[in-house]
Amino acid sequence: MNEELISKKELLDLAGISYGQLYRWKRKDLIPEDWFIRKSTFTGQETFFPKQKMLERIDKIQTMKENLSLDELADMFSPHLSDLQLKGEELVRRNIVSKSVLDFYLENEKGSLDFNLSRILEVFVLEKLLQSGAINLDEGKMLLMVMIENKDQIKQKSADLVITRKLGVSNCLLLINTEGYHFDSGTKLVTEISLNACMEEIKSRFV
Amino acid sequence: MHVWKKSNRDSYKGEWTMETKKRGDLIINGLGSSNGGQFNEVTLNGKGTVNSDVECTNFDCNGLGTVNGNLAATTANISGNGKINGSIEGQSLSIDGTAKVKNNVIVKNLEVSGKTSVGGKIKSEDIKIKGRITVGEDCEAETFKAESHFTIGGLLNADLIDITIFSDCKAKEIGGQTILIKQKATLFGLFLPFIQTQLETELIEGDRIEIENTKADIVRGNNVTIGPNCTIGIVEYSGELSLDEKAVVKEIRKV
Repeated sequence: MNEELISKKELLDLAGISYGQLYRWKRKDLIPEDWFIRKSTFTGQETFFPKQKMLERIDKIQTMKENLSLDELADMFSPHLSDLQLKGEELVRRNIVSKSVLDFYLENEKGSLDFNLSRILEVFVLEKLLQSGAINLDEGKMLLMVMIENKDQIKQKSADLVITRKLGVSNCLLLINTEGYHFDSGTKLVTEISLNACMEEIKSRFV
Repeated sequence: MHVWKKSNRDSYKGEWTMETKKRGDLIINGLGSSNGGQFNEVTLNGKGTVNSDVECTNFDCNGLGTVNGNLAATTANISGNGKINGSIEGQSLSIDGTAKVKNNVIVKNLEVSGKTSVGGKIKSEDIKIKGRITVGEDCEAETFKAESHFTIGGLLNADLIDITIFSDCKAKEIGGQTILIKQKATLFGLFLPFIQTQLETELIEGDRIEIENTKADIVRGNNVTIGPNCTIGIVEYSGELSLDEKAVVKEIRKV
């Protein structure tokens, strides 16, 4: 990291804020934990911050806090996922999907390169299952169709995807709010995946 | 099926709404164990064990209770000996006996009158402690009031920190707006304690700091009052400083 750092003391001076404010903002998650950089100096340990980012953040907080509560501010700084729009290459860069799966997805879905949250979820699930080798490309297509057709259901409820095979024929099931399920003994459960868990995982990648 | 909706950040700040359909109660009297799940009331009297995550409105543990998973309860009460092998989330948690939490405690109100140990962090708005508490990581609150003996492995961060030292206390760092640390008043002021109890920390940072019986490497603040029996490495202040004659301070800097 080649960013210019600023010590806590200098920062308070420069920005004209108090310790109380700084600690309060930290508590409210207005300042990300990893901006607190600990370094040892000749006076013992001191905390440093990335100067540019920190000053911008403080400026934002100070101008907006007159209209918004600190909690509302915190929601603002945490990436707002429902309005999230990302480019395909950004997803690849963030390791959410590999290039080959992304191409496969676009080929089948024929959508634009801008991804909203539900499309990110689709491509993420596809990536997960294809890369683990649990399913093949045809099953991937089938899964994709199920997910696209039931977009609205997936958004609001707790959903699980189940893929089964019997006598070489695969089936894809989308289970909404299910407590459990059973098959006859000839059916092999290929994979089951909770879409909510996937969603959590995606969110955690953006934080 | 019951679906709990929580706000995305801290669960205690979100409204806990329940999709209506009646939930059952889980009551263990005597020796028993159960799987977890979603309940209205969970009461463990005697020796009760719950073997997975629990979600409930009221959690009451009066004997020796164990939850092998996370506990999400609007109100939780541990009056006996409770052990949670996971995290606790909810609105209010009161502990009158002994409680051991493996991971985090994220509740709006926390009241401890017994002995508590938390392996992870505590995030709360209002913390009141009379007793003994051990926290592995950070402890965050708007107000932190303690008449106790505590050990905090990370940062103690609160707007108002009001500590009365009853026995040796330790925190890695303390930060906030107002920080008050005082020694427990002795009986009639006559009997001075034979063994001095101290609060030990590396760093104290705040706007208004009044401390007694504290050992710290660095104290930084606006208005700083260093009381008797303090041992401080460096004091940095920008407003006013008052020093007790019985305090030892190696270095003073006015910034």
